[in-house]
Amino acid sequence: MVSMALGPNEWAAILLSLQVAVVATVSSIPIAVLVAYALARWSFPGRALLNGLVHLPLVLPPVVTGYLLLLSMGTQGPIGGLLAEIGIVFAFRWTGAALAAAVMAFPLMVRAIRLQIESIDPQYEQAAATLGASPRWVFWTVSFPLMLPGIVVGSILAFAKAMGEFGATITFVSNIPGQTQTIPSAIYAFLQVPGKEDAAMALVMISVTISMLALLFSELIARKVGRQQGGL
Amino acid sequence: MITRILTALGVLAGAHFAQAASVTVFAAASLYSALDAIEVEFEAATGIDLVVSFAGSSALARQIQQGAPADIFISASTDWMDQLQQEDLLIPETRRDLVMNALVFIGHDRDAPSVVLDSRLDLVALVGQSRLAMALVDAVPAGIYGKAALGSLGLWDAIEPRVAQADNVRAALRLVASGEASHGIVYATDVQSEPRVRQLAVFPHDAHPPIVYPVAAIKQRDRASQDQFLRFLSSPQARDALARQGFIVNF
Repeated sequence: MVSMALGPNEWAAILLSLQVAVVATVSSIPIAVLVAYALARWSFPGRALLNGLVHLPLVLPPVVTGYLLLLSMGTQGPIGGLLAEIGIVFAFRWTGAALAAAVMAFPLMVRAIRLQIESIDPQYEQAAATLGASPRWVFWTVSFPLMLPGIVVGSILAFAKAMGEFGATITFVSNIPGQTQTIPSAIYAFLQVPGKEDAAMALVMISVTISMLALLFSELIARKVGRQQGGL
Repeated sequence: MITRILTALGVLAGAHFAQAASVTVFAAASLYSALDAIEVEFEAATGIDLVVSFAGSSALARQIQQGAPADIFISASTDWMDQLQQEDLLIPETRRDLVMNALVFIGHDRDAPSVVLDSRLDLVALVGQSRLAMALVDAVPAGIYGKAALGSLGLWDAIEPRVAQADNVRAALRLVASGEASHGIVYATDVQSEPRVRQLAVFPHDAHPPIVYPVAAIKQRDRASQDQFLRFLSSPQARDALARQGFIVNF
């Protein structure tokens, strides 16, 4: 019944949503780890400013975040214009949808990782360093494994947020079937038309199913990571 | 206890609404500027408080279906008005067409020459590597009309892959204003509010279904204030305010 209500455009939207959410999440992880580590462990000028900037997408209406992205990262914008010259274009592309989703999900990911880092006793890292480990070695053998639960939780939150992102996405990259139309944009479009409630509901069900599977999957990973650390 | 407090609040709120004469209008977002002007004049003329809730016609219609406290509904599409009428939510004899709108082709480049909208227009070459910004072409009225107009001129199939669909017509206007999309299709009334775009052509009226804004009173509300507002909408003052925003009032 669900499959009957969905045309090729809707299936494209489902695949695109997955693609956007995965790319947004995975490419955010290294930056989020760096920012979370900096906020938790380092003191530097502008730390409060960085913290505020990271959290801005949580505070602003998503449409405003999307509009700011359009102004700055669009082909006419100061950053987007420079990037366009070297062939990187975000506006009206699926990559732009991924960028919007990543920006919206970033604060959630950073918060989760930062909380995890703050719960790590710095003495572990100091002990490793006094035993002769280089800073890089300390990071990869001590800090990173201890951060992992936070990274997993942060990534799941970010993935969920990216799957549901609508306001910033439609404002920044609009709604182009097969290119930038994600599940939320397709649901929104269906809800604008009388009598398309069934098609909208079918997409909602699929969206819920994907989110549930992702959450179950994350539970499994979290448990596995937890067990490994228990045995450490 | 909580229920009692809520009941008390409800009674207070009810008493408040019963006291102050007010009329609540749910209006399509494209009427924003016009109704702003009408509100001031209506309140001065009648002493009735006019409350206007602006949103997309579809969102408003769905709220009315769920029992939102609207006295008057002004929709940007006949589809949603028909839907509410079928569900017996309107007072049928109060329904009429308030204004009409036109569809225009706009460009970001202030020096771009005007164009003639017919089947010989090479729209694809005009838009080039940029985008044609429209409202959602299967869902939002401005987009539906635009797609129909391009279709009847035989231009739709070629340009379709370059169309960027925004969630409403004002968002499409913004894409052209900021230059992210080189061209766009919006209502004639939208262009008045945006100096950064240039109107290149008006679509022929017969290229798309008539763009009418029906108005009607919602059932089971205060008839006296509803009628007063509907009468005011027909007054020369109100018609002037609508015409000033570019709406077609004589049709």
